[in-house]
Amino acid sequence: MSSPALAAPATASERKPSSVTAALAAYRVPLSILALCLLPWLLPSKALAVNVLVYGVVAVGYNLLFGYTGLLSFGHAAFFGAGAYITGIAIGQFGVPWLVAVFLGILGGGALAFIIGGLTTRTRGIYFSMVTLALAQLVYYVALQASSWTGGENGLRGFTVDKINLFGTTINFLDPINKYYVLMMFAALALWAVSRILNSPFGAAIEAIRENERRARTCGYDVEKTKLLAFTLSGLICALAGTMSALHLAFVPLDVLHYHTSGMIVMMTLLGGARSFFGPFVGALAFLLMEDVFSLWTSHWQIIVGSIFILFVLFLPRGLWGTFLEKAVR
Amino acid sequence: MTEGSRNITRQKLSRRSVLAGFGAGASYLAMPWVARAQDEIIRIGFPTPLTGPFAAEARDQVKCAALAVKQFNDKGGINGRKVELLVRDDKLNGGEAATRTLELIEKDKVHAIVGALSSAVQLAVNEVTRARGIIYVSISQSDTINEVKDFSKYTFHEALNPHMTTAAVARHSFKKGNKVAHLVADYAYGHEMLRGFKRAQAQIGAETVGEILHPFGAADYSTFMPRLRSMRPGILCISNFGRDQANSIKQAVDFGMKQQMKIVVPVLLHNQRLAVGPDVYEGVVGGANYYWGLESGNPSAKAFNDAYRDGNRNAIPTDYGAYGYTGVSSLLLAMQAAGGTDTEKVITALEDLKYDVAKGPQQYRKCDHQSVQSVLVLESKKAASMKSEVDLFDIVANEPASTDLLRSCSELGFPA
Repeated sequence: MSSPALAAPATASERKPSSVTAALAAYRVPLSILALCLLPWLLPSKALAVNVLVYGVVAVGYNLLFGYTGLLSFGHAAFFGAGAYITGIAIGQFGVPWLVAVFLGILGGGALAFIIGGLTTRTRGIYFSMVTLALAQLVYYVALQASSWTGGENGLRGFTVDKINLFGTTINFLDPINKYYVLMMFAALALWAVSRILNSPFGAAIEAIRENERRARTCGYDVEKTKLLAFTLSGLICALAGTMSALHLAFVPLDVLHYHTSGMIVMMTLLGGARSFFGPFVGALAFLLMEDVFSLWTSHWQIIVGSIFILFVLFLPRGLWGTFLEKAVR
Repeated sequence: MTEGSRNITRQKLSRRSVLAGFGAGASYLAMPWVARAQDEIIRIGFPTPLTGPFAAEARDQVKCAALAVKQFNDKGGINGRKVELLVRDDKLNGGEAATRTLELIEKDKVHAIVGALSSAVQLAVNEVTRARGIIYVSISQSDTINEVKDFSKYTFHEALNPHMTTAAVARHSFKKGNKVAHLVADYAYGHEMLRGFKRAQAQIGAETVGEILHPFGAADYSTFMPRLRSMRPGILCISNFGRDQANSIKQAVDFGMKQQMKIVVPVLLHNQRLAVGPDVYEGVVGGANYYWGLESGNPSAKAFNDAYRDGNRNAIPTDYGAYGYTGVSSLLLAMQAAGGTDTEKVITALEDLKYDVAKGPQQYRKCDHQSVQSVLVLESKKAASMKSEVDLFDIVANEPASTDLLRSCSELGFPA
């Protein structure tokens, strides 16, 4: 169940795990939540901390498909965006309570993932990537054209949530600290869910598919259904992140559906370390922090961030967190 | 056991009290200074797309905004308080702009925001400032921001809007019976410009013979040109922005369209004309909020140009740059009139403000906070008649500031 193999499967199968890695793996959810609790006090701004939460959840959800199932999707912006748009529309145009809107966003994004997954998971390799990209672009253009619903190019607005009722108390949601900790609960839930999925037999099955699809099929797994389920679950988590983003910014720019967003999710996951549980979160943190800090120094920040990314791909293919875990084993 | 735990407690207590003492001492020393510093400096957040396709315009905006701030500081600030401009890169992305604006408000505790250079991005900033009651002076074209749905009493729109721009341009380039074909960028900016032009055409009696939408950022317009030519228009109206404008005009010229029709654009862009050269743009007519050549007959333009030349190695300010100057200046003038940064007082001051800092008299209309201002109609010069490298345009008309160019308050949805 709580085998360290899940924290760093490739390394753990080669070497004996140290106590550090074992502890990290066994308590990965509480430890990650602890890290999240401290985050807003360590980062330069609270708004950045919330962004790290949002993109951390996206990257962790994406990693379920990319790192663990081995499917490189270029279309996850669609689920992220769907979650954000549905939440925004539900609150702004139908006056739905915010918590219900969050659930609607997650369900809507998940349903979209189920449909797109159904159409794509039978393709493989580069074809899978291209078909997910194409379908996500389709979603982008639908949002662009349906401007009476989505605000089109101008973005979706008019759904600011300023006060929320939680457990009988009214919370000022405009206060950055309150906002962070409320949204952190969702992030914690997502982390727990992903951890639970990975620890289940289903988690072992998707890794089996990643390692050797033919063997998994021979062992009797329904590869198509398993992939579809992994795709849908990944989409659900990304949709949750989308709803968090909508609540955070009170604005959904059309750009969330752009393929740049999908590319950024892949970059964050690689930077932190695909195939590790918390790696993508670290990747999102590193990416956003670099962007934030360097863009204050110079308008040529893209050169710096790009170079760092290239160096990582060349010299630390396991990413930040993956490399850290590897070192901890020694 | 008890002894031990008491010891620990005592130790802890003593360490804590030492720390507390230190903290109190330090804060006592720092307090007057911190408090005074917060009192004194007026911070203005300035999100603008320093990276991306509009980076050139954004840099001009920053330079001009910094000039306005410097002029106020040189005169002793506002009631003795210095002004500081905090520039942030919004990457031409609404989400990024909203995050930067949140940072500016929550962390940097800015007193007001000026900036943004895209219809969508300014609406994102507007959402954030509206919810938090922070004054925002928007310096990018938009019709939407005037409408009652997006109105915020904290938001003032310094830029021209598509409606007034197209109204002025049409007035001086369309005639009754003209046939007009439209090539339009398929996003908010293009759509709003097209709507404005069509409305002006209806009033003038110019007929639309066809319209073609092109994707934002298109590089190839060759498929559109034969279709536009087959519509046999007298005027080709190209409503797009930035590099798209230069690319589409260049290709229209390559197709020989200029021999058969006049090319009209809503906004004749200074930087694009500089980048492409006089031959391509020759004879193209379009609107502008500002052109440096205004200085020959307008003392405030002369003063603005001279101040800019001083700080920028004799360069001249551009159209979009001027927004940075007029936007920040109007806000600071209002703060001066209000005697500080009290939000309600500054709003009243902005509503009552009559200012002339670069281009002639301007004033914010009370209902929608749109800056009522003159609109220039320019025509791009031939290479032969240019007196210097920056002598780009002839001023065809200077449509004076008037609410006639704007949609009425009731049409925008405001109660009469």
